[in-house]
Amino acid sequence: MYRIRFHGRGGQGLKRAGRILGTALFRAGLEVQDAPRYGAERRGAPIFAYVRASRSPIHERGVISCPDLLIIADPHLLAMPDSGVLAGATTRTVVLLHTGEPVSLWRERLDLPGPLLILPRLPGEEERFRGAVCAGGAAALLTELDEGLLARAISEELAHLSAELIMTSLGLARAAHAALAGERGIVRQEEPISAAGYKTPAWLTLACEEAAVSAPAIHAAATSELSQTGLWRGKRPVIDPGRCRGCWWLCATFCPERVIAVDANRRPRIDYGHCKGCLICLRQCPHHAISAVPEEEAAREEKA
Amino acid sequence: MIPPGRQHLRELPDRHCLAAGTPLCAGCGGLAALQAVCDLLGEKTVIVNAAGCLTLLAAYPSTPFRGSWLYTAMASAPAGAQGVRDGLDILLDKGAIGTEENLEVLVLAGDGSSGGMGLSATSAAIDRGLDFLYLCYDNEGYGNTGQQASAATPRGARTATSRGPQGHPGAKKDLFAIWAAHRPRYVATVTAAEPLDLARKIETARNLSGPRLLLALAPCPTGWGYEPAEGVAIGRLAVQTGLWPLKEYVDGRVQHSKIPQPRLPVRDYFASQGRFAHLLRPENEQLLAALQDETDRYWQEVEEHA
Ligand SMILES: Cc1ncc(C[n+]2csc(CCOP(=O)(O)OP(=O)(O)O)c2C)c(N)n1
Ligand code: SF4
Ligand SMILES: [Mg+2]
Repeated sequence: MYRIRFHGRGGQGLKRAGRILGTALFRAGLEVQDAPRYGAERRGAPIFAYVRASRSPIHERGVISCPDLLIIADPHLLAMPDSGVLAGATTRTVVLLHTGEPVSLWRERLDLPGPLLILPRLPGEEERFRGAVCAGGAAALLTELDEGLLARAISEELAHLSAELIMTSLGLARAAHAALAGERGIVRQEEPISAAGYKTPAWLTLACEEAAVSAPAIHAAATSELSQTGLWRGKRPVIDPGRCRGCWWLCATFCPERVIAVDANRRPRIDYGHCKGCLICLRQCPHHAISAVPEEEAAREEKA
Repeated sequence: MIPPGRQHLRELPDRHCLAAGTPLCAGCGGLAALQAVCDLLGEKTVIVNAAGCLTLLAAYPSTPFRGSWLYTAMASAPAGAQGVRDGLDILLDKGAIGTEENLEVLVLAGDGSSGGMGLSATSAAIDRGLDFLYLCYDNEGYGNTGQQASAATPRGARTATSRGPQGHPGAKKDLFAIWAAHRPRYVATVTAAEPLDLARKIETARNLSGPRLLLALAPCPTGWGYEPAEGVAIGRLAVQTGLWPLKEYVDGRVQHSKIPQPRLPVRDYFASQGRFAHLLRPENEQLLAALQDETDRYWQEVEEHA
């Protein structure tokens, strides 16, 4: 059985990527389960989707804890502990990371027990097509799939979209597939988990404490500050000080997160630790003083 | 009398009540409305919430709030508000807290609970003359569970449960009229895309007592299908096309606070969102015309009664 997990952020189309891969495997004659993690999928927030596929009936249910293939749509996710991207990765887990950076860099950074592959960023790839790209890259690694099955699954899963969007998605998925053509078969099916031989953990029994001691007492205010929602951003709004006329109230008032403040010189300052990159400020600034810089590029410039 | 409001955006508070780092979608229009309400009400507020997207704001151990929050069953937020109000009143009566420690009770709920299963508790709370403010953020569907159709979904919109070629077949339930029919103290429609109108209405509501509703159109990139950057533009289009009339009910009368002039074709609004894309297809020409007619009739009646 294949156990495949896609990680991305709400709005990148990763839930759809799981469906595309699932449909392609189903058309290839396998039994398939595919599901996004149930719950509130927030635009920009970490989400995951998973696919199981097997020639024999699938009895496993629920979240995949030990994946054979892990697809990461965005390296930023690795910095978010609550996204659990690498959870359960073992020596046989193939990790496919979608980034414009070289594999050597990420091998060193992640020091994974198993193989790491890079799915390069493609020319003309916008964030919303990331799902199609990741589905294309993942499909290239499985012996059961070929480009025809991939294309058919995309046409089926995206049928509700415009012809133009389908064409773009197809083109990008094919390019991703081609980029990884040499890796076909690297992901291998693992045996289904069996309950035979399961040993009960050696539980420790602890006496219950009084509710007053064991229940959380929440008196601290404004703790959300500790969540670095800035990691959600795909693009960073950057204010050009030359163009900004200092009418800070426009960008600041419309910012739904209220993360634009005015400094002592009456200039707007964006709190990048928390800005989620909705870019409403960019659309509202009458002087076009704000531009959107892809986050990886902005981070590179910052370091340089 | 409706008091005059601030004239310029720079007169709005530039210190904010809620902390950053919320778990809501980038560009959430519901959060934008709540920010404005919290900025003007301040910290001395107890929020009583019914299940919905904004429930995620206060998920232990993370909260953006500086004041208290009570999470109730989805149908029961106004009943929860009654309990909190009564508790505060008893403490005030006994002198256990001073008037400076009194709190405003704010119900925060989505359109799904406000116009559906929460309606009976709301109606009863208004009957009892409960002194509370109610903020309904209307994203026109059950957003938190994947945008299924709610009582507030407009005709023609595609949702997770209305996927046919003509979208949602039902009509949007008129929560403003339902509230106004109870003769409460105050009812107003607002949207964060019109911050001055919103601020004036929040302050009007704050200075009154009794049952008060702020019904906020809450553009939702995730459920409505648009790029988050467009959120404010879409809220404004809803007002300019006449689909979201800005109005208030005070002292038994309904007044429009903004008459869109010129009124843009509803088509412009529909074209801005994926959930309406099918309305622009030739086979839906009649439906589109019917929706324009409906809006025209609404404004014709407004003019006739002016
Ligand atoms: C009694 C009950 N039924 C169903 C649910 C599941 N539920 C949680 S949030 C939600 C959607 C609420 O929609 P709305 O009030 O419009 O708020 P939104 O999610 O759009 O913010 C539902 C159905 C629940 N929590 N309680
Ligand atoms: S789904 Fe819509 S209403 Fe819910 S948090 Fe996201 S943008 Fe806000
Ligand atoms: Mg809703």
